Amino acid sequence: MSQIKDQMPALIMGGSLLIYGLIAKTGAMLPMAKYLGTHKTMDLQVTLTLIVGCIALVGAIVSTTRKSGTSNIDIFVLRPLAGIVFILVLAMVIRWYAEPLMKITSVALQPLLGFKIYKVLNLNYVVLGILVGVVLTNTWGIPKFAAEGVKCARFVLKMGVIMLGAKYSLAELAKLGAYSVLLVGFFVLGTVFLVLWLGNLFKQPKSMTGVLAAGMGVCGVSATVAVAPVVKAKAAEMAYTIGTILSFGIICMFVFPTIGHLANMTPVQFGAWAGTGILNSAQVAAAALAFNSVDIETLKVAEIFNITRVLFLPIIVLVLATWFGKETGQKLTFKSVVIDKFPVFIIGFLLLFFLSSMGVFSPASHYKGKYIDVSYSERTQVTPEGLESLNSAMAANEFSGLTPKQLEAVTDLVKQYQIAGNFADRNDKKVFEQVGRARMAELEGVLAAAKGKQLTLSADVKEALKHAVKQVHKESRTVVALTDFMIWFFAFGLIGLGMQITKKSITQAGGWPIVIGIIAGVTKATLSFFVVLWLIKDVVLN
Amino acid sequence: MSDKEKKITIETGDSGKGTTELPASANTEELEERALSVFSSDRNEDITALVLCLLTAFLVLLFTKWLV
Repeated sequence: MSQIKDQMPALIMGGSLLIYGLIAKTGAMLPMAKYLGTHKTMDLQVTLTLIVGCIALVGAIVSTTRKSGTSNIDIFVLRPLAGIVFILVLAMVIRWYAEPLMKITSVALQPLLGFKIYKVLNLNYVVLGILVGVVLTNTWGIPKFAAEGVKCARFVLKMGVIMLGAKYSLAELAKLGAYSVLLVGFFVLGTVFLVLWLGNLFKQPKSMTGVLAAGMGVCGVSATVAVAPVVKAKAAEMAYTIGTILSFGIICMFVFPTIGHLANMTPVQFGAWAGTGILNSAQVAAAALAFNSVDIETLKVAEIFNITRVLFLPIIVLVLATWFGKETGQKLTFKSVVIDKFPVFIIGFLLLFFLSSMGVFSPASHYKGKYIDVSYSERTQVTPEGLESLNSAMAANEFSGLTPKQLEAVTDLVKQYQIAGNFADRNDKKVFEQVGRARMAELEGVLAAAKGKQLTLSADVKEALKHAVKQVHKESRTVVALTDFMIWFFAFGLIGLGMQITKKSITQAGGWPIVIGIIAGVTKATLSFFVVLWLIKDVVLN
Repeated sequence: MSDKEKKITIETGDSGKGTTELPASANTEELEERALSVFSSDRNEDITALVLCLLTAFLVLLFTKWLV
């Protein structure tokens, strides 16, 4: 009887999830999902709630029928199950309700405040997850049935870091010249050593300093999680680091665009500066768009500089493993650092990154799963109506304002029905793709000129060109699915991480980490500002 | 009184069921760390995470690329 009582939370959560999934399956929740902007996730909502609901019910029933022991099933599945389901339910509420509601409220408050509060405070699932965990553990406390599940948080966060590898490809690094990679590397390592020095100066715990160095040097959440086990950082120290990075990013989001305009930076220079100086990728994108919302080049450069930092993650792990070992008085050989201290899950990150770079998940040149495919395909062709509009425009001499290259791209589109290379070069993949991509860039130029009122094109022609460009922009379903897994792993892990942060641990950490973070952040931003102005001219991307 | 008899209390948070009493000679940092994980060591945790991720990647590839 007491076993049934113990399993009651899992039974209630499992039953509720099944009911939710079944109601969602009927489509009754679609109007609300449309209002929240989550209607595209309805299939996922149904699948996830039904699967998790069933697992919770089966797990609870099995637990009631057998005596709890010390077998692997008991330790890793049955005992933590209720807690895992509890955190998953919280993650679902955050991803499907709290985050969209935050966005809607922010948009509604924008006329009053003059800015979108969710963008400024970066109130996405990362922050909301940690906050929910911290609030829960410091108010009502973690429910007794969930305690074992919370212990899985760090493990699931590691899975998120491994999955992160699938999102990137070496082609990203190749887009930046060696010069720029050196620049990024210099600032990553420079910041890490600066934070280590400051931590020593302000007599901070080694674990706090180590995790803060990784977070400030490489990039927010993933670097913090990756380095935490190496320097034995506690949950509160990890959360402190994430908080410091995000708070510093909020200030940067406002200050960077203003300084960029005052210094007359070019879009490329600003992109390079924001990508180097700001840590969180969402905040990098926000600053780049605030500086220049029309020229996509700023955002592209900023994102590529930002992403390149992630590739330094394994190097930083090695550096910090060596530093931490020496600081704690261990005698370290090369073998003990590289083999014994190097976390296995970072090898997983590298393995997925390698597979991604080899083109296993998506063509190797992909960018967060997006890539350009100009090979011959019926799906890539313009519609018959579009083709007719283009032919009519040709006959009516509507393209007279185009440059010779733009005109050649449009003529070829009409000839081949799609953006592609020359038919004669179809066996030479490299040349074929090069010509196709150049034609796509010319067509994008035509559309930009039409948008800027430098060209007058009919709506049908613009639509046909837009459609042709859109058709060669593909998205890998594999990388999208793997990224979704990564997001859910991070959401789960961060809620659990928040649940491990008590008031006492926060007061123990004190205010010094923020001071160190701000000094390091300001130093990096100032130095990179001058270096970018001095070294980066207009051409960065290869 | 020997070290084995001395007891100390470490903070393990709610997820580690509040506080735990341990012998003074115990490696408290390691124990505190383990109290926050279901795994007996970091290496086990990492290897399990890696295996599960590879399995996930394989299933994702199967259903989004190879079987489509």
